[in-house]
Amino acid sequence: MSTRGVWSFHPAVMLAYYVVVIIGFMLSQHPVFLAVGVGFLLVFHFLIDKGKQLKTWSTMILTLAVFILVLTPVFNRRGNHILFYLFGNQVMLEAIIQGIMLALTLVGILLVFISLNQIISQDRFLYLFARISPQWALLSMLAVRFVPLLKKRLKEIEEIQKVRGFSVTKGSIKERGKNGMLFLQALLTGSLEQSIQSADSMSARGYGQQKRTHYQAFTMKNKDWYALTFILVTGSCMVFGWWLEDSVLSLLPVLETSQLEQREWVFIANWTLLLAFPLWLEGKEVAKWKFYLQKI
Amino acid sequence: MEILSAKNISFTYPLEEKPALKEVDFHIHKGEFVVLCGASGSGKTTLLHLLKQEIAPHGKLEGSIFYKGTQLEKQNKPPDDIGIVFQDPENQIVMDNVMEELLFGMENKGYQTEDMRKKVAEMTHYFGLTHLLDKKTSELSGGEKQKVNLVSVLLLEPDLLLLDEPTAQLDPIAAKEFIQTLTQLNREFGITILMVEHRLEELFAAADRVLVLEEGVKKIDAPPREAVAMLHIHPILNYFLPSASRLFLHFQPEVAPRSIPTNVKEGRDWLLANNITADSDMEAEQEATPIFTLKEIDFQYNKDTAPVLHNLSLSVNKGELLAILGANGTGKSTLLKVMAGILRPQHGKVLYDGKKQKNLVNMAIRYLPQNPALYFLEDTLMAEYSQIVKKHPVENGEAIIATLLDTFGLKGIEERHPADLSGGELQKAALLGTLLEDPKILLIDEPTKGLDPYSKKVFGTLLGDLRKQGLTIVMVTHDVEFAANYATRCSMLFQGDISVTEGTRAFFKGNTYYTTVMNRMTRKSAAPLAVTLEEAKENWRVQRKS
Repeated sequence: MSTRGVWSFHPAVMLAYYVVVIIGFMLSQHPVFLAVGVGFLLVFHFLIDKGKQLKTWSTMILTLAVFILVLTPVFNRRGNHILFYLFGNQVMLEAIIQGIMLALTLVGILLVFISLNQIISQDRFLYLFARISPQWALLSMLAVRFVPLLKKRLKEIEEIQKVRGFSVTKGSIKERGKNGMLFLQALLTGSLEQSIQSADSMSARGYGQQKRTHYQAFTMKNKDWYALTFILVTGSCMVFGWWLEDSVLSLLPVLETSQLEQREWVFIANWTLLLAFPLWLEGKEVAKWKFYLQKI
Repeated sequence: MEILSAKNISFTYPLEEKPALKEVDFHIHKGEFVVLCGASGSGKTTLLHLLKQEIAPHGKLEGSIFYKGTQLEKQNKPPDDIGIVFQDPENQIVMDNVMEELLFGMENKGYQTEDMRKKVAEMTHYFGLTHLLDKKTSELSGGEKQKVNLVSVLLLEPDLLLLDEPTAQLDPIAAKEFIQTLTQLNREFGITILMVEHRLEELFAAADRVLVLEEGVKKIDAPPREAVAMLHIHPILNYFLPSASRLFLHFQPEVAPRSIPTNVKEGRDWLLANNITADSDMEAEQEATPIFTLKEIDFQYNKDTAPVLHNLSLSVNKGELLAILGANGTGKSTLLKVMAGILRPQHGKVLYDGKKQKNLVNMAIRYLPQNPALYFLEDTLMAEYSQIVKKHPVENGEAIIATLLDTFGLKGIEERHPADLSGGELQKAALLGTLLEDPKILLIDEPTKGLDPYSKKVFGTLLGDLRKQGLTIVMVTHDVEFAANYATRCSMLFQGDISVTEGTRAFFKGNTYYTTVMNRMTRKSAAPLAVTLEEAKENWRVQRKS
């Protein structure tokens, strides 16, 4: 487990950062703001693991984005600028812009969660939440652990049942649906049994009996306080921008230009600063190593 | 000094009439290694879980359990120094990284970082886990997982270690290693061990005492040799005994317990002391007509990973029981999946009855998975069978089911949920299901995993009978004893290819290390070479040297 770059910070600081960024994505409904956000997150993913983790999710993210891009203009007919007619229905410029913003917001938030999963590892997660409610932390941890196990088991069931002539890829739709339900039922009964054993093993090792300690002594160092201050200041600034409606593109009643004007430059600078923070930390590490290796 | 004792404990699960434990009474002294055994359903696991209060089952408990002189139920906090390791290596692991998993217990108990560092450093070094510390727990082998589970419990410094069939899911080599580790813990560190286990072959040397439960009642509580003497007439539990003892007791049933050999070395000594002649054993050569052939199969899961099967050719003869043996990770299960048509090889041909397979899944070939629970889709066995009979129209389906239930000894439990069956029952139940589909070839993946010796025997005999009725069976296993007893031919899978295929006897006779206990015992001894116990029992005539 790496302890450099972003990983060197206190988990609470990491969590604060992610919370602020997610709020940012939800409030700053402006294509430029959102595009900048997604861009920075992509670079960040590339820096932490060359985008490996991202690749496994890429198909899902892209399909979702395309769906939203296509469907929003189809269903949303409100606006003043008719672009063209599709099967006798107007397609509005406003709707297309909204589609782009929705897609960017969703992609952005997914990217945040994927990196969050990598940065806030299980021990950090427990550190943050076990003190608040050990039961809930335990439950969510078991749930997270469950996903890959369930996937594996479902694949096994599919393989075995394929030989028996039960399949979700062949036959009539009704039959496929029925088989799918049978598989899920078999999956759930089996998995419940397993999770009981996991819970037994946890309580047998004293989980939830007393206050937990942590091997990794997370203490708030000076740099953690600085980082937290930085995150809170840029974060409040971002919220202020939303309140002034500078980081929001108004679509109705009148469509505002997507170009940035006056004060909006200040807020995009602030947003950039916030997003660039982990990039700077990680980039520093990368540069350090490049430089170090060249010197040898 | 007494560390644990139970006074007349009886336990009844809620909504059950019959108690799971009846007036069980025992004492365990500090530093003892006690083995608890019994057939499935005898209440072993219930008893073990009752001793660990955090996970004690709900139900009515009578009698009292004393730990270090105080009654368990009267303490306001369960004792810290009882550790438990469970059967399934997978489900006990909760963290995704080995280091975090090891720390989990200590963090729960509030250890300070300095202490944790010291203890983990010391323990991982002693148990040779250092190279695994940064690995993900999902990437470990079964044996490694179980070792991590053990160490993570040991880090809490238990005085009493409870183990619930910890080696049932492991391959024989990993199991042996695990038992050796336990022996060491007991001998060198004085940890008291109470272990539920079937593998008495390895355990008898280590154990100080054997407790036997039968239907919730304590039947035997004696040192190993005496327990052997008492158990060898038992219809079920005699299969649990070491081969050396069983061989000896077959020829000399009436002796003092202390002269019973319990391991290979003592068995050899006994062989030396006797003149043994064998009737010439006839190995009938069967005519071989290949029914199922694999030619030059290549298979890899991923473009970037190493090939699992490479240029593999194998032919299966009609009416044989072929065992494919091999170490962990040599691709045994993959091979079976290729044969079943679950995986499509990148290169090579699969021929059934001389014809190339068009459809990957062939109706004449049936597959029984490593985890038979995954075979079932319905709520009860009967529902599953009726549905099979409906799906593949079988004449007199109900009647056939009834006869099969009878021959398989599953009568009376056909209305149960598959998850409520014991390992042996489940394996048989899944086998019954596949037979209803009228297969010509049956592929079985690791049939003995988690089965006790008696269930193994029952299952093996069933397979033998089916083979005699004309069914061709291919099984993948690392259970050497099982293969030696029931297979007609054996193949060795090594580095993605079949390295040898021979008749079972010839196969094991040729091996020096990877072979049965009987073979190791009789190899280079005065006695005639035998591969299985049954063979020796049938052919040998034993005379005492004067």
